[in-house]
Amino acid sequence: MESLDPRVNRLNLSLTELTSKAPLDQLGTYEVFSQLREGKPYFHVGPVHAPNCEMAFLFAKEQFSRRQTCAGLFVVETRNIQVSIFTEGEDTVYNYIDDQSEIKNGNVQSFELFHLKKRGKQHEHIGTIEAPDAEVALSLVKSEFINDKPVYNIWIVKTSDIEFNQEEDKIIWDTLPDKKFRDAIAYKAADKIKEFKERQS
Amino acid sequence: MINTEALKELIYKMADDQLILGHRNSEWTGFGPLLEEDIAFSSMAQDKVGQSHALYQILNDLGEREPDTVAFMRNANQFHNSQLVELPNGEYDFSLVRHFLFDTAEAIRFQMLTESSYTPLAQLANKIKGELRYHTMHADVWIKQLGSATEESVSRLQGSLDRLIPYAMGIFEPSPFEVQLIDDNVFAGEGTLKQHWQEAISLVTSKTSLNLPDLSLVEPIYGGRIGKHTEHLQPLLDEMSEVFKIDPTADW
Amino acid sequence: MYGGGNTFEHIKSNGLENEDPEKLAQFEARIERGEKIESTDWMPQLYRKQLIRMIEQHAHSEIIGALPEGTWITRAPGFKRKLALMAKVQDEVGHAQLLYSAAETLGKSREQMIDDLINGKSKYSNIFNYPAFTWADSCFISWLVDAGAIVNQLANARGSYGPYCRALERICAEESFHLKYGHHCVIHMATGTEKQREMMQAAINRWWPPMMHFFGPSDKISVHSEILMRWKVKMGSNDDMRNQFLDMYVPKIWELGFTIPDENLRKNEESGRWEYTEPDWEEFKRVINGDGPCNKERLAVRRTAEERGRWVRKALLAPKTEYIAPLA
Repeated sequence: MESLDPRVNRLNLSLTELTSKAPLDQLGTYEVFSQLREGKPYFHVGPVHAPNCEMAFLFAKEQFSRRQTCAGLFVVETRNIQVSIFTEGEDTVYNYIDDQSEIKNGNVQSFELFHLKKRGKQHEHIGTIEAPDAEVALSLVKSEFINDKPVYNIWIVKTSDIEFNQEEDKIIWDTLPDKKFRDAIAYKAADKIKEFKERQS
Repeated sequence: MINTEALKELIYKMADDQLILGHRNSEWTGFGPLLEEDIAFSSMAQDKVGQSHALYQILNDLGEREPDTVAFMRNANQFHNSQLVELPNGEYDFSLVRHFLFDTAEAIRFQMLTESSYTPLAQLANKIKGELRYHTMHADVWIKQLGSATEESVSRLQGSLDRLIPYAMGIFEPSPFEVQLIDDNVFAGEGTLKQHWQEAISLVTSKTSLNLPDLSLVEPIYGGRIGKHTEHLQPLLDEMSEVFKIDPTADW
Repeated sequence: MYGGGNTFEHIKSNGLENEDPEKLAQFEARIERGEKIESTDWMPQLYRKQLIRMIEQHAHSEIIGALPEGTWITRAPGFKRKLALMAKVQDEVGHAQLLYSAAETLGKSREQMIDDLINGKSKYSNIFNYPAFTWADSCFISWLVDAGAIVNQLANARGSYGPYCRALERICAEESFHLKYGHHCVIHMATGTEKQREMMQAAINRWWPPMMHFFGPSDKISVHSEILMRWKVKMGSNDDMRNQFLDMYVPKIWELGFTIPDENLRKNEESGRWEYTEPDWEEFKRVINGDGPCNKERLAVRRTAEERGRWVRKALLAPKTEYIAPLA
């Protein structure tokens, strides 16, 4: 069979009976967070599948910062995210967080906190908390958020489980604004239509 | 005064390398081993074709024809790209290893050019630093992953490496203007570039199960820089310009 | 790019009698209030099943849709078009990835979906089973097929499933470049040389019938599903979508001096609806069931890519990580 696509002809397609592919590529799942501009909060943008953090970062860079400005990106394996219950209406998740008990002595580590402030939207990075575990971390910040606008869902992650972009690699996003051929605005042609109509009449 | 002939020779070969490899990379869209790689190769293709356009633009300012005419209307013997970039894509291991060998050299070349006495080149080199950083990051991560994963992936990469090394050394084909470019502080030369390149690629391969051949024993494949090409370049150019040549004066 | 020709499964029994009536009422109330459903929320089996089916078909349409336009990726005339077409087709692949991820939140892995595509078990937009003979065909696709897709996607973005809506928001933002780029190409063909105009007119003639099929069978003969509308899975009838497309784009095609190969095509000013010759739905069915000009090639390309890439994916398998459904 001759294809109209010269690239397809170079593939040497075999057109025998279609067979299913061997199941094998169930890679790990990572969630991706990106920052549109320096100083703005990071938001969850979606998942990628990859064998490790390094590759997850590469895939995330393509998928989530190819077409939108980006100042920073990080990935975390989905299974390392602890998720709270969902609430509704005026009910905030913090109503279900235990009050701060006496601080247990123990090794303190840092956690990253994410809030869902509107159903249907994406989780936003709020800040970092030092605590012995995730539960204590949330109880530590409960007083700060319980009287705020409701938070409908919380994600909390150990900072050490996150793969951040290297500071010196941030230049990979430098030329993004120059790629005008990917902007609708680069394709103005009203003049050509006008000229064409004048020629016709 | 910078020698214009020397400058043009340097820019033509860089621009032609970028255009042809960018074109080859774009062939992967829709056929890659993972959707993620279709996308990555396309991004790198766009960067490379964009970079070649910027270089042809500099040539245009030096009195050469328009970028579109230069890119779409020349024949193979008028192209100065290394033969490495014109070879058909082959399987993914072949494209990946080529991308690794070429982009490592390209990133170092532009790094050297950030100090060029010829301002337009130095400016361009500074501007595209980030694109080149991403290309080598992409290549290094993949080479490290596949170069030490399964028996098949290692032996495929090794095979492609052995096949491609002589072509890759053709990137550094000595230029008749080498001394001139160095004296004019335009470019520190293919010799220096090759040395840095050798160090950079062996740094990556040393973290894998791949064996880098002893480069002093490899016979480089030259010719591309003086218009001698494999049988693959002319068909590539015919394909690339098929629509353009229906009417080269038309506005598409 | 995706049309409304999605084949929903015929709902013989909706199985709702097996669902918890209280939860079902809460679920329907949430949708009624205009709130989004998230992957962790309770949902009826039927909702999950039909959504997976729809999002999956949409994702397949994106990767298969990259092929007809990809036909011209190595031949785009001039730097500007070369760069733009690369970026445009790349976006389609990126959209597939976003959509597979959205479907995965409902519990079906990308791998299972691609398997079902290759086996011919799940469908994709019918229009991509037609060949792109010339550069002008790729211009038609970039402008008008994308335009049709946007009509659909904008409607679907108002649907009820959160992850799908968010993916569509991203996709629609990217598509605005496709549409402008495509229109720009067609305008240049229209106002260019005699040869260019001829090429473009021929492409319009070739692509019009599949374009009319794009939105799916007429409401008179398609499977109605009141429940999918109520649950905001399906957001508009096929005929409404088709009418919206005709209303927005037929004048723009005529304005460039092209003709459309349907002598009955006109807007009924009284009803505000477009009238046209009834598309050949027998052909539509034939093509969707595998007998179109390019079905075999499209699937063979997909399968070849999977086979050639198998060693790569094998080399990526990492026991230290774990596949689970994405969170959102």
